[in-house]
Amino acid sequence: MKFALIGNPGVGKSLIFNQLTGLGVEVNRYPGTVVTLERGNVCFKKEKIEVIDLPGIYSLDGSTDEEVLVRGFLEKRDADALIAVLDATKLERNLYLFLQVAEYSLPMVVVVNMMDEAERTGLSIDTERLSKHLGVEVIAVAAVEGRNIDLIIPKTISSAHPPQTQVPYDHHIEAALKSLEKTLSTPRHKNLLGLLGMSGDPLLRDSAASIAEEIGQRHQMSVHQIIATNRHNFSRQLASDTVTIGRRKRSFDLDSILTRTVPGIPILCAIIVLMLLSVFIIGSWMERIIVSVFTTYVIGPFATLGLSPLAGQIGLSLLIALQAGFGIAFPFVFTFYLALSLLEDSGYMTRAAFLADRVMHRLGLHGEAIIPMVIGFGCTVPAVMSIRILKTRREQTIAAFLITMIPCSARTVVIAGIVAAFVGIAWAFSVYLIVLMLIILTALVISRVTPGEQFGMIVDLAPLRRPRPGLVLAKSWIRIKEFLFIAMPVLVITSIVLGILQYTGTIDTFQQVVAPVMTTLFGLPAYTSTALLFGVFRKELAFETLAVLAGNANLAAVMSGVQLYTFAIMSVLFVPCVSTIAVLYRQLGARIAILASVYSVALGFFIGALINLLMK
Amino acid sequence: MEPSQREDELEAVFLLIRDCQQQPSTRDLASVLKRPDEEVASDLKMLALEGDVMLGDDGTVALTPQGQELGMRVAKKHETLQCFLSEMLGMDRSSASNEACLLEHTVSDETIDRLGVYIKAPRQHRHQWRGGQEEDPCMIHCPLSALTDFKEGDDVIVSMILGQERAQRLLDLGVVPGERVRIKRKLANQALVIQVKGCDVALSPEVAASICVEPLK
Repeated sequence: MKFALIGNPGVGKSLIFNQLTGLGVEVNRYPGTVVTLERGNVCFKKEKIEVIDLPGIYSLDGSTDEEVLVRGFLEKRDADALIAVLDATKLERNLYLFLQVAEYSLPMVVVVNMMDEAERTGLSIDTERLSKHLGVEVIAVAAVEGRNIDLIIPKTISSAHPPQTQVPYDHHIEAALKSLEKTLSTPRHKNLLGLLGMSGDPLLRDSAASIAEEIGQRHQMSVHQIIATNRHNFSRQLASDTVTIGRRKRSFDLDSILTRTVPGIPILCAIIVLMLLSVFIIGSWMERIIVSVFTTYVIGPFATLGLSPLAGQIGLSLLIALQAGFGIAFPFVFTFYLALSLLEDSGYMTRAAFLADRVMHRLGLHGEAIIPMVIGFGCTVPAVMSIRILKTRREQTIAAFLITMIPCSARTVVIAGIVAAFVGIAWAFSVYLIVLMLIILTALVISRVTPGEQFGMIVDLAPLRRPRPGLVLAKSWIRIKEFLFIAMPVLVITSIVLGILQYTGTIDTFQQVVAPVMTTLFGLPAYTSTALLFGVFRKELAFETLAVLAGNANLAAVMSGVQLYTFAIMSVLFVPCVSTIAVLYRQLGARIAILASVYSVALGFFIGALINLLMK
Repeated sequence: MEPSQREDELEAVFLLIRDCQQQPSTRDLASVLKRPDEEVASDLKMLALEGDVMLGDDGTVALTPQGQELGMRVAKKHETLQCFLSEMLGMDRSSASNEACLLEHTVSDETIDRLGVYIKAPRQHRHQWRGGQEEDPCMIHCPLSALTDFKEGDDVIVSMILGQERAQRLLDLGVVPGERVRIKRKLANQALVIQVKGCDVALSPEVAASICVEPLK
């Protein structure tokens, strides 16, 4: 048997899913999209039941990846029953999605979650009455307390059936649905999709389009608006008949400080700085441990195996790639994901988007773009993956360019390891300042030359809640798996290729060829070109390779302050790492991936040459 | 030479000078008009004879005061018509632009002035806010009053939503005609948090400006 959870974002679907299935979750990438589906299994009376957590959506009428996916899922009738999760505190708006899902006439039950929160705010919900109205079983649940979670699966097995409720549409719409049904003999929900211009069937789409236009003209309002209004009005009726609003306990509204310019914006800055600092401190501590353990217990013994030089080189490259992957993935990226999931689950992230809207507008983006930007400070790969929350291609392109320039945690390692350690703390900050200025300049230029329109921010502010540790952990775990899935293969392959190049002596030749350029243009020793090349593979390798090639861990002894500074800035700006290029390619196509890479190389070279010229 | 062709060419020269801040060459002009270089060159010679343009020795084109006046007037007609067709009547942008290209040659100055007043009237007292880009002559505005005209704590009723794409997301969140909405927070840049159906929704200034509302009586 196969059940699917469906509901608005933030109704506690994931929590219910985790409580039903435990942590043995499998994440599937849906073909052709970047949306993931989570699947897990429940054993009930010795029968295995598969549970699918569909992505949270507000409606079935939109064209976002999530909405298209859920629509396709319902269209295929791919589940034996649906479990619709509604938020008791926002029943009216949640019923809007339920009414759309009900039109597909699949067997279903309704779970009204967050009953505890509703009780706290003085709402009481008559679930029996609701059940009568909707014509399906209604289960009152408080997932946070675990209340009635154990009823969900048995009730779904015993009493899931198609809902008996139907939205009374405007009489013109009803007439249109009837006539389409008569002429084309297509079912009601398909005809509705046709009127909304979203049917896959060209015949239905064309005949529905002309009717829709006529209705639109008569009402002076688009069919979309009429249908949405009808559904909202019906859900209001249902909600007002089942929800009684009691006395609301007055409690302090945190939003009165969080969403004001003052002190909201200082708080936002403080939270971001604090988050980045703690990720960096915890990350570098953990990285040292992982790298040293790996060196002593894996790379050390491997060197004593006495393999042939070529096999040894390839094996070593493989191990170094794994070390690099785990050395950055767990300490930095995972810690960062934990912090991020904490911010998201607490509901703060949506407020951050609201406050950042003004600044982001100046960069040609809007508030929601702050989420990929912040993620970019942790790691560029997931940041680029998250730009799909921006609606238009224009915004995605601008965001992609800027994100590849943001100093990620690996670049922070380079800045700290080279500039802060050997040149001075103030100079290290100046690197950040220069990068920040370049980001702003880049934004001003590309927001003018990138074609397309701005969408603007429409964000549902999530209620402020105390985050659930289990859920934060589960979310971070799923994300880190996704990261490893993309970054690891790229790291391994590049590492092996570089290893072979080193074995065949190509790297030495390369170093000799570019040596004049390095010395005259940037004033750097020849071996820095190899270090930069390794930086393409993983940013902080630039620093490590440099130490190895210079033959001295005290870099100040072999290179001047200006040289170290130039090198650090160049490797920070110069090419997003290979994993970033790979994910740029996957998200935005080859053109943007190449453009962003070429731009950053050019910028790195330009700034490097400029510093050399000014400081000489 | 057809009058409409003359107007099209002067409009193109005017826009090129305005947007690029330098005098265009014949080739620039030909590529904007999507016509062969030679044809445009011969047209320009005729325009020079009529005293609309001056041709430089280096192949650049400059406008005489007379040509400037006419080019500007046609460009303004085009913008006003396109704005009206796309934002008020809901046509998509490219067909609105094509339509405006045809209408701009026949429409009277008075009609354009009145249309301009009609479109701009409600925005005089709003939009101190400027985005990162130059002001879009066609930024969406409500003919009545928009959500951004009200202040924090006000209750309003939604009457209409402009702009198809954004509207869908707003509809899903419950911002539908007839719905009561409260403005919970308003920042200096006109970004809003509104309360609708018991939920808080944050909106960019340009989104809020596209929601037409009436005050709650």
